[in-house]
Amino acid sequence: MANKSVWSDNRFWQRTATWVTGFASVLLIWLTFDTSAQIAMGNDQDLQNKVTKRVPGPTVINYKITYEMSAKRGLEVPIIGGNDGKGNSLFQVKEKFFGRDDYSEDEARALLHLGKLGEQAKNCMDCHTLLGNGAYYAPDLTKAWLDPAWGPNGAMQALTGKNTREEAMAEFLQHPGQYPTHARMMPNLGITAKEAKGLVAFLKQMSSIDTNGFPRNFGKIKGAVNGK
Amino acid sequence: MASNHLTGIGSESKQLATWYFTFAAILFGAQLLFGLVAAIQYVMPGFLYGILDFSIARIIHINALVVWMVFAMFGSVYWLLPDETGIETVGIKIGKLLFWIFALAIVIVVLVFLFIQVGPASDTTIWFITEGREYIEAPRWADWGIVVVALGFVGNLFLTGMKGKQTGIVTVLMADMIAFAGLYLAGMFFTDNISVDQYWWWWVIHLWVEATWEVFVGAIAAYGLIKMIGAHRQVVEMWLWIEVAMLFGSGILGLGHHYFWIGTPEYWWEIGALFSALEPLPLVAMFVHVLYDWGKTQGAEMAKEHTDEYQAKSVITNKPAFTWFVLNAFGNFLGAGVWGFFHTLPQVNLYTHGTQFTAAHGHLAFFGAYATILVGMFYIAVQGTNGIKVLKSTKLSIWSTSLITGGMLVMTVALTIAGYVQVLVSRAQMGATWAGYFDGQSGVWFAQAMDWRLIAGVVVFTGFILLAIDLLTTGKNPVHKR
Amino acid sequence: MIDPSMIRPGIALNDFLTIFVSSALVLVFGGFYVGIYTAVKVKLLKPWTMLFAYMFWVLTAYCLYLMGSLMHVGEFTAKALVVAAIGLFLLPFAVYYMQNQVHEENEH
Repeated sequence: MANKSVWSDNRFWQRTATWVTGFASVLLIWLTFDTSAQIAMGNDQDLQNKVTKRVPGPTVINYKITYEMSAKRGLEVPIIGGNDGKGNSLFQVKEKFFGRDDYSEDEARALLHLGKLGEQAKNCMDCHTLLGNGAYYAPDLTKAWLDPAWGPNGAMQALTGKNTREEAMAEFLQHPGQYPTHARMMPNLGITAKEAKGLVAFLKQMSSIDTNGFPRNFGKIKGAVNGK
Repeated sequence: MASNHLTGIGSESKQLATWYFTFAAILFGAQLLFGLVAAIQYVMPGFLYGILDFSIARIIHINALVVWMVFAMFGSVYWLLPDETGIETVGIKIGKLLFWIFALAIVIVVLVFLFIQVGPASDTTIWFITEGREYIEAPRWADWGIVVVALGFVGNLFLTGMKGKQTGIVTVLMADMIAFAGLYLAGMFFTDNISVDQYWWWWVIHLWVEATWEVFVGAIAAYGLIKMIGAHRQVVEMWLWIEVAMLFGSGILGLGHHYFWIGTPEYWWEIGALFSALEPLPLVAMFVHVLYDWGKTQGAEMAKEHTDEYQAKSVITNKPAFTWFVLNAFGNFLGAGVWGFFHTLPQVNLYTHGTQFTAAHGHLAFFGAYATILVGMFYIAVQGTNGIKVLKSTKLSIWSTSLITGGMLVMTVALTIAGYVQVLVSRAQMGATWAGYFDGQSGVWFAQAMDWRLIAGVVVFTGFILLAIDLLTTGKNPVHKR
Repeated sequence: MIDPSMIRPGIALNDFLTIFVSSALVLVFGGFYVGIYTAVKVKLLKPWTMLFAYMFWVLTAYCLYLMGSLMHVGEFTAKALVVAAIGLFLLPFAVYYMQNQVHEENEH
């Protein structure tokens, strides 16, 4: 029998596996601490102080939100309350949400909480994608709040007979069967008016999350592809 | 040559394993059936609208998938424990009790999904109806049930491993199963912050299917190679440790490729890209390993008999199971490797994320990496419980294998084409809006791809029926060597 | 409006197909490379076929390059791809060497 080489030694590989796994796990845990701090939800104070958070606080529903190219980062970012021209949020321009733009921290948080509960209770992710994850049977909802279809010239306000995004969305969510937009229709999920308001708040807050430019070119129709 | 102690008669652990396998096979059938419903809805959107909507069909499709695989994995462990440790599994009575608790919980969860479907936006719904988080929709009470069952299972495994002979395979399984069970806890909380929600959700999903489950497959493949072709334990176990190092080394931080767009910082692009690029390497290596072991043992047999390949006695003692194990090596490489790699880099994932590409990858990867080897384990159990020395392929086993595999490949190609249409139309040109989404869905290529997917689904289901018949009847078939 | 020249280039519409095909072929060719290499080593194939193994590796590397350049990957990702290509090249050598070593030690 030849000398046992280290490369064919079971214990050597067992130790390698343990060390590699341990190292990867420790690195992941360390990154998790860093990421957790960065994706912790902001609060009203941050918005008042014009601090850009990756996940803004619930009172972001008091502000106008857009999705624009940031020259510095080379990708589209959510702009809250107006653009300074360089792709940074000004946190100035307000926007009415169901007739108000002065939701308190507690009110907005309660709405968001209801919306997130509703999103799970109605199994939204088993047809739609949120942040790109979920099922592919219905449109992605990451930036649904900003979709031109719900805007002033979009089809949905006329269809539902409402004058604002949030009202059109809430109306649709309560009676999806009445507003068929495609052969594939959203089923009636028994969403109440209160729940619909929460869900729309959830969607608005989600559209303000910094998703590193996903989805690209959102809302910019044909010809927006860069490159060649 | 390792001797074959395949007889399962008299081992309570193996009896429990067959219970797990049987229930897994039933859930496998349910998975396919509800997959068919969802596939029909893509073609005929009015089908069962308002009765069994797409969301419900899909919940059952994907949850039955996860649960049948977990059942078959538990079964596999109970099956191989007596062989590996040389003793009867410790705490088998508790194991049997937990099986019934687990099965009953699953039945209740499925009935609630089917007949109650959704609830009001409240904690009660999260606790008793649905948690609404893809793959782990099971309500919170069931989560706790699963934790208890998993703890009991891991306990049995540890006690048996420590009392009996602790082989390399058992050691790997012990470490892997505790991580597997522990990770489930990461999916058991509620948060208003969707980014935090998704962050931890991926800990469960990714660290299961791209880390702990893959290592489990490595351990089962090692066991299978020893059992079926008499591969050398020393070689196989050393290889298993290398696989563990490669799979965890690339897979744990490969988690980064799910953190490109969920609100997490940009540095995940680099981490995700690097480790995703490395993730296929262990899959390629597993494939080489099977080829190597087979070539070596068959070569040794040929040398011994002084004959060529065709006259030499085959070293394979279970043809159908070995076929499924080989399909596993291929399928893992193709489904998880090739289909995973081509949309994993952030530059292209920006356009492919959340399209049918993901569905194509998901279908082939779950099938190739997991369904195949678990079906292989079903056949090993059939061989063992019937005291068969050499289990041969039957017409039925060949037909079922071909139909299932062929159907899955066609389905994957169809979904890939659909994904390509979606990327070009809905994403690159229309920027992922509502209108863009439906423009993509209405394309001729997309619609045809969905027709083909449905046809392929019917083929797979037919193959499944044949598979079930074969599994139930082949044990009594006189062609096998006893 | 922001100056379009400042926008990091996305992917050209015509390049998507090439990217998907080449990135799928990376592993297909890579699989052929390690498969043929191992098959020659365990004497399932004749030694001269080893030439094809290396040809497949070259194709793999080319596909990686093509895919990376059309995607406009950054510097870091480009390096990661090179590491993956080299890793794939060395993989079958390492696997074979180690397997063989254990076999020798255990069976002779």
